[in-house]
Amino acid sequence: MMRGPVRTLLLVCSIALTSACVTSTVDEMVFNEPLEGIGDSSVVILGRRHASDYETEPDFIECVGDHITSHDQSIRVINELEFVNALYPWFEPRTAPLRPEDIERLLRQKPVAQKMAELKTEYMIWIDGATVRGDSAGSMTCAIGPGGGGCFGFGTWSDDANYEAAIWDFTDRIEVGRVNTSATGQSYMPAVVIPIPIIAPVQGAACDGLGNQLLEFLSSEY
Amino acid sequence: MSRSMISAPERGNLRHVFGIAVVLFTLGGCGPEQVVVKGKFPPPLMEPLPLNIGLWYGDDFAHHEFFDEAKSRTDSSWVVKTGEAQVQMWDTLLAGMFDNVVQMKGKPGPGQMNQAVDAVLIPHVDELQYAIPTHTNIKVYEIWMRYRFELVTSSGDPIAQWTMSAYGKTPTAFLQSDQAAVNLAAVMALRDAGANFATTFTRVPALQSWLQQRWRPAEEVIP
Repeated sequence: MMRGPVRTLLLVCSIALTSACVTSTVDEMVFNEPLEGIGDSSVVILGRRHASDYETEPDFIECVGDHITSHDQSIRVINELEFVNALYPWFEPRTAPLRPEDIERLLRQKPVAQKMAELKTEYMIWIDGATVRGDSAGSMTCAIGPGGGGCFGFGTWSDDANYEAAIWDFTDRIEVGRVNTSATGQSYMPAVVIPIPIIAPVQGAACDGLGNQLLEFLSSEY
Repeated sequence: MSRSMISAPERGNLRHVFGIAVVLFTLGGCGPEQVVVKGKFPPPLMEPLPLNIGLWYGDDFAHHEFFDEAKSRTDSSWVVKTGEAQVQMWDTLLAGMFDNVVQMKGKPGPGQMNQAVDAVLIPHVDELQYAIPTHTNIKVYEIWMRYRFELVTSSGDPIAQWTMSAYGKTPTAFLQSDQAAVNLAAVMALRDAGANFATTFTRVPALQSWLQQRWRPAEEVIP
C-alpha cells in the first residue's frame, strides 16, 4: 500500500536534488503602457551587440520572444534574424540606432520606411546583457582503462545573468519602458563513476522574468 | 536465380583499408584547422545610387585566404578561406547599392578592352586577424579585416583610394566547434564590411569631388 507514495516521494526528492537554486530579481519602469494590448501590430525583439567583451545571446532573444508568444498568441513577435536581414544594413552592430530619435533618421530612407510599414512594427525592444560564468571551484579526475572508465570528484560554479530591455514606441519614436532582470545561481557536478550535472537554469529564469514583464506591458490579458 | 554484383571484401583488403584509414586519421590530426567561410548575405535595403559601376576582383581577393602558423606545440595552425564568401557578399551588396553593376572582362589598364562604366571598383583585403578564446581568455571569437578599395577609370587611371575596417565576433557557443564559430565570426565581419561600405560610401572624403561630378544627392537637387 505504501509503495505508491514512497515512489512519488523518491521522485520528488530526486527532482529537488537534481535542480539547483536560482535567485532572480526584476525591476520595471514603464511610462506609457498600451491599455488594450498592441492589436494587430507586431513587436520586434533585438539584442544589443556593440560591446567588445560580450554580446546578447541570440538564443536568449529567441527565448524571450517564444515566452511572449506562448503566453499570448495574439502578439506577433518578428524573428530577430528575419528582421535584421530584411532591414540590412541598418540594424547591424555598427549601424543600429542607439536612441529612439535615431529612428527618424532611418525612416528618411524610403525603402526602410516602406519595409517598416509592411512589418507593422509598433514596438521595438532592445535587450542588452549576457549570462556569464562566475567563480568555480572543485576538481574532478576521469580515467579510462581496459575494464572501463569513470570519474571522481566534485565541481561547482556560479552563473550570473543580467539583462536590460528598453521598449521603444515606434510610432512616437520615444522610449516607453525599461525592464531589468538579474538572476544568479549555483550549479554542481558531483561525480562518483558518472558525473551528475545539477545545473542552475539561470538564463532560463532571466528569460522568464523578462518575458513576464514584457507580457504585462504588451498583452491586454496580463 | 540472380547473383549479387557486390562481393564482400576479402579479409586482407579490409585490413589494408583499415590501415589506410588509421594513417589518414592520424595525419589529419596534424594538419591545420581549416575554415572555408560560408554564409548567406542579404541584399541592402536602400535606394540605389544612379551610378554605373564596374567591378574587378583580383585573384588575391577572389581566392583570399589567411594562414596563421601555430606559435607553440599546444596551438594549431589555421587556414581561413574567405574568397568565395567575399565575392558572394560584395556581388549582392553592390548590386543593391548601384543602379548598374558590371563585372569587368579584364583588369582595367591601358589598352584593355572593357565595358563602358562610370568607374571600376577594385577591392583588396590588406589584412585579416582572428582571435579565438584560447588566445585571449575572453569567450568571444573575433575576425578583423582591413579592406583597401581602388576606384579607377575603365582604362585604369586612379580616381580614389581609401581603406575601411570590418569586425565580426560571436560568443562561445555551446556544442559548437572552433571552426563553426570562426566561420560565424567571419560572416559577421563580412556583414559589417557591407554595412560600413553601404552607409559611408557617399561620405568617403577621397570620393567627394568625383561624386559631385557624377551625382548629387536628392536634397541638393531640390531648389
